[in-house]
Amino acid sequence: MLKSFSARAIVPVALAITGFVVVCCLLLYSVMKRDMTRDAMQHAANLADTIVKSTRYAMLKSDRETLGNIIRNVGDQQGVEHVRIFNKKGLVMFSAASDELNHLVDKKEAGCIGCHNGPKPLTTLGKMEQARQFKNKKGVKVLAITAPIYNEPSCYTAPCHFHNESQKVLGTLDIGLSQEPLRKTLITLGERMAVFTFMILILTIGGVAALLRRSVFVPLQLLRSYAAELRGGNIDTPPPSLDGELKEVADTLHQTSRQLRESRPQREQGDLPGS
Amino acid sequence: MPQNLENHLEETIDKSRDLDQLRQEIKTRIGRLQAAANHGLWALALFIALSTCALWDFSFFPSIPDEFQSMLGKPPSFNMISGALVLYSFSAIILTLSRMMGGSGEGSPFPHVLYLAAFYGFYHFAKGLDENFWAVFAAGLTVLGLESYRIWTYSNDEIRKEQERLVELERKRAFWSSDEHL
Repeated sequence: MLKSFSARAIVPVALAITGFVVVCCLLLYSVMKRDMTRDAMQHAANLADTIVKSTRYAMLKSDRETLGNIIRNVGDQQGVEHVRIFNKKGLVMFSAASDELNHLVDKKEAGCIGCHNGPKPLTTLGKMEQARQFKNKKGVKVLAITAPIYNEPSCYTAPCHFHNESQKVLGTLDIGLSQEPLRKTLITLGERMAVFTFMILILTIGGVAALLRRSVFVPLQLLRSYAAELRGGNIDTPPPSLDGELKEVADTLHQTSRQLRESRPQREQGDLPGS
Repeated sequence: MPQNLENHLEETIDKSRDLDQLRQEIKTRIGRLQAAANHGLWALALFIALSTCALWDFSFFPSIPDEFQSMLGKPPSFNMISGALVLYSFSAIILTLSRMMGGSGEGSPFPHVLYLAAFYGFYHFAKGLDENFWAVFAAGLTVLGLESYRIWTYSNDEIRKEQERLVELERKRAFWSSDEHL
């Protein structure tokens, strides 16, 4: 196995190039996937902020109809899997899905258990930690963001409201976006990178193999055939047309075989008295 | 018996003893080289076993206590670990290729298994092993595959040379024994 010169020359080169390119591509894909997921989280967080700000006036005015209408319209958008606002107790006050209204949020659901796993739920989360990824009941991968609706002076000083000043959070907006577009983009990216990697590998290994064949393997094969001719006694065979070091080897072989032929009668004569 | 013939016989016996010793040494060296030729495969097998554990995110093992984890501090960022992995793969491949070029038999593949285990460990603590498992696995296969190939070709070349020496020795031994019979 791997005894031929060509195999011994090409295998390490092919292994080194292929391995390194594959490692770099896998790491690059992983980095790009992480960056794109982070961008998607940022986008979802911005969307949640936009919704909170858009509904602020309706909340101040306690306009439940407008608020419900905004939430339903947002929920109708393509790619929005769920959008809901629930109060501190977890009671869904507004939702794009009407069957969720006035129901308590199940803390054991895939999207909630991340924070509500322990006896005390996590309260302080960074912007990126507010995001969570899970599969919903429909089997769709969802990227969800929860944005707390904080109590502001305008809330607890408004004449129509009953919130007191000590209440820090009034409720939470929860919005879930489908990760299907991101998944499709990542698949396309992965396929393009695989094709690109494959082309680079073919070009590099093919180039190295072609150069080796042209400069080393073919001349070596000619030299080998010439040596076989000499071994077979065909000393008159001219040396192959070669360049560089291999030409020197071929000429040396040619000269040595000629000298051997010329000295044969002398050697035979010299051997006779001793024999 | 004339003195010079006696000396000649003693010399022949000494030479025969030396040849026996040399033959034994060569056979020992061949045995050692044959064992060394398999070191690369052993390292690969060890790495694959380690990778199987890593594929399941080391869930077979008990988790490290939180106190110990907090004592270790914050894990390095993904980008830093990935950069280190690229740098490690590149330098390990260059080192192996240069050793291959120089026909050197130095170096063992087992330290590479340790380095790769460290990368699995870093990704595990940074909670990113599932995303980066295949990159470490591909790096390990490349580095250990090249290292195994280098050790295997070097050992086989050396074994061939030792076997040629052994044949030469047998020829000398046959010559001395025929001389002794004369």
